[in-house]
Amino acid sequence: MPLIELKDVCKIYNRNLPNEVVALRHINLEIAAGAMVCLQGASGSGKSTLLSIIGCIFPPSSGRAAIAGRPLSRLPDRFMTIHRRRNIGFIFQQFNILPDLTVLENVGLPLMPLGVPPAERQARAMSLLKMLEMEHRADFPARQISGGQLQRVAIARALINDPPIILADEPTAHLDRELSLGFMKIMDDLRRAGKTIILASHDHLITEHPAVERIIGIEDGRIHAA
Amino acid sequence: MSLAKQLNILDYALQGLWRRRLKTGGIVIIFSAVIFLAASFQFTIKALNNLVDQDLQATPEIIIQKMSAGRQESIPLDYIKKLKGIWGIRRVVPRIWGYYFDATTKANYTVIGLNYKKMPMGGLLDKALIKGSLLPGSGEALVGTGVKEALRLPAKGAMLSLFRPDYSLKALKVSGEFMPSTDILTTDTILMNLADSRDLFGIKPGLVTDLCVYVANPREVTTIARKIAARLPDTRVVPKSQIKETYREVFGWRGGFASICLLTAIAAFIIFAWDKASGMNPDEKREVAILKVIGWQTADILGLRFYEGFIVSFMSFLLGCSLAYAHVSFMGAGLFRPILTGWSVIHPEMVLRPGLEFSDIFLIFSLVVPPYMAATIVPAWRSAIIPPDAAVN
Amino acid sequence: MLLNPWSIALCLISVLALCLIAAAGRTALNVLRYWDPASDSNRQIRLENETWLASTLVQNAMGLQVVSLILFTLAADKFSAVINGAMCATGSLLANQYGMPALYIKLAGVFLYGFWIVLHKLDISREDYPLLRLKFIYLLILLPFLLGDITLQTLYLLNLHPNIITSCCAVVYSSGQGGGMNLLGSLNGSTLVIMFYAAGMLLYALGLVNRKWPSRSIMFADGLLWLLFLWLALVSITVVFSSYVYAMPYHHCPFCILKPQYYYIGYLIYLTLFPAVFFGLAAPAVEPFRHRAGLETVIAAFQRRAGWLSLVLLTLFMITVSWHYVLYKLLGGQT
Repeated sequence: MPLIELKDVCKIYNRNLPNEVVALRHINLEIAAGAMVCLQGASGSGKSTLLSIIGCIFPPSSGRAAIAGRPLSRLPDRFMTIHRRRNIGFIFQQFNILPDLTVLENVGLPLMPLGVPPAERQARAMSLLKMLEMEHRADFPARQISGGQLQRVAIARALINDPPIILADEPTAHLDRELSLGFMKIMDDLRRAGKTIILASHDHLITEHPAVERIIGIEDGRIHAA
Repeated sequence: MSLAKQLNILDYALQGLWRRRLKTGGIVIIFSAVIFLAASFQFTIKALNNLVDQDLQATPEIIIQKMSAGRQESIPLDYIKKLKGIWGIRRVVPRIWGYYFDATTKANYTVIGLNYKKMPMGGLLDKALIKGSLLPGSGEALVGTGVKEALRLPAKGAMLSLFRPDYSLKALKVSGEFMPSTDILTTDTILMNLADSRDLFGIKPGLVTDLCVYVANPREVTTIARKIAARLPDTRVVPKSQIKETYREVFGWRGGFASICLLTAIAAFIIFAWDKASGMNPDEKREVAILKVIGWQTADILGLRFYEGFIVSFMSFLLGCSLAYAHVSFMGAGLFRPILTGWSVIHPEMVLRPGLEFSDIFLIFSLVVPPYMAATIVPAWRSAIIPPDAAVN
Repeated sequence: MLLNPWSIALCLISVLALCLIAAAGRTALNVLRYWDPASDSNRQIRLENETWLASTLVQNAMGLQVVSLILFTLAADKFSAVINGAMCATGSLLANQYGMPALYIKLAGVFLYGFWIVLHKLDISREDYPLLRLKFIYLLILLPFLLGDITLQTLYLLNLHPNIITSCCAVVYSSGQGGGMNLLGSLNGSTLVIMFYAAGMLLYALGLVNRKWPSRSIMFADGLLWLLFLWLALVSITVVFSSYVYAMPYHHCPFCILKPQYYYIGYLIYLTLFPAVFFGLAAPAVEPFRHRAGLETVIAAFQRRAGWLSLVLLTLFMITVSWHYVLYKLLGGQT
């Protein structure tokens, strides 16, 4: 059974209103566990919407979506969140790190609503930062560190709940070549460790990276052959 | 709903308030100012009530005054005989109670002409004196600390020179002085014997200003007062409880009026709080979106906002109440002087002791905290329902 | 007596509660009319968000109700200073016919809001929100209830005049003979105490039996017993236990124990009694929903927790309420 399974998925914003937008049309997609795939498409193609549905941020308007063995269609927000934090780790284009918190606090943030006590939170965040060679920045306010370092913080935060799926939205948009290659190295390591990785990007460094086994092209809300 | 989770959210709320300490501080200052005003009012009224209670402890259960044409006039001592036979009266003590205006110091003194020894337990009052005896002899007087200071009386051999209504001088030797601890009651008092006070005010012999009736059983006061009124139809019979209730009503009413004024202030504050809380800036919106996308639920954000509101109200409440307590008890409610002048009949130099109870604090709490919490519900909810996809581009 | 800080505070809280419940009621109507879990229209998303607003509003309203209840008893105590014959809250509350009903409806209000919150918590524990309709119909009932509360309170305050002469606790609750106004004269103190402790012991027994062998009939019997116990407890506090707190054999009053001269022990007594009864009643109250799809385990877990909590609170209550009584019996203190 595939880890991610979308059948005839549509997403319509503002349904039955004058400003109705059809973002996804009849998407069928299966991604197996342990894969590393790349969604490719221009902005406005529906790429982000698809990523959000896979990432359990909102449910599809119609069709069936099952992520990590759980059908998600019309699940109340509260349960989407529970499912999301268990199974999905996000790495955003603008990193979405809170600038006023320290690096360590940012990484431990997803553990707070799970009731993980402070000491354990810090220990887990610290071990991830060590793995990503960021422990020397642990007590820095996030606003004081560089873009490449911010991304490592974002990766650490995405991994803190040990989710099976990692989603990265335009991860290399703000990075130079060297840092981008470094990022892909980390992703490749994670894939080897058993994670499923979905990247949304049109950066050649990613689409042509040897570890990416499949490229899914999206245009006007539809998947086209790649 | 685990405790550990709630503690984490509380922890995050505290951190957030500290990070935005300028904004938090602003709200706390304004909120505690509102609480300060409300609490000062309540504490002042409370202290005044305590003052009245203390005042009235020393007064007799019933006071009889003669009325003529709707005004008070002197009462003949013969009336005491007419009260003979009313069962339950312990003692009737004649008294002259008047006010003497001193033009040089522009002060009003309370002049009491009374034989204290005749009062039940009057002997105990000797303890209220630094020196001398409560039985001033002819031509002698006892003074309170206020009088002593106002007239700059020397420590030894002081003489009082007071004017009779016909501007002739009456000289009295100061034979004793009240303890400062009894200031509430005695600061402006000049105590002398009945004959001297009659002479000072020019009251005809055989007359006094009022008769004090002491009753053994407080439960009988109403009955006895009714009987006295029946026997002495041309008098006004004032039971102590009535004085007390009149004062209470006056204070309560003024307090109510003040509360209405305060409600306006609170309303203004709520509008401010609403404005502050609903006008979320993009950074705050982004923060919520990020928290939600990484796994915080709507209920968690609602909890976060609740804790923030609770901490702000709690701190402001503590601050406002402490300041109000200091204001009332150490600075004599200085800010309210203009409004309080109406009460100066009680005492010119008020020492306010609001002896607080849980109920006073709780009253202030329920006047100010619920409106704030209610005003922040909708903004808190608005912030909590920011969808997580706001964090995705 | 509306122009008085206490009355103003009570009215202010009533107005706030009314705003909150009215706003929640609006959501309830929308949810009952338009709720469609299969849709992802903007309206459905808005409704889902509004259910969070409604639950927050009711939780806050419950807080207000508790504040209002405490405020009301404190206010009654303060009013006694200006009402002839009233020496404490009893006298003020009996000064007109609305006082006691207003107090009872306020207390009942706390329980009603509390049950709503229990229902809400159970509802959101399942993905399909199985109790959603019921929850919002229930919410609509809260509104007229609150209006009743406010009406009684306003009538009480309006009809309270300082010159009305009333009887106070000394007369009303005294078990002496011949008193015309005597609410509890027929009950003998020692029988009452025995009944009270027997009911308490029975509650422990039923609670433990229920934990070991949960059954519906025992659950309901337990609920009824809790109601009986609430009544017994209130009467025993008034007639027996309070006078041991005051150390005065002829002073029986359920309100004076809240005063500072008795170290506010009354708050400890009531703040353990009412929550104990609440959780004791909550367990059987949710029993009818047990058969609904998927709620069995959630409800069973809740009932276990509520049952346990009610017994813990009962223990605390028993200790606080018996403290002076037992101390007196042991030490044989003087009256």
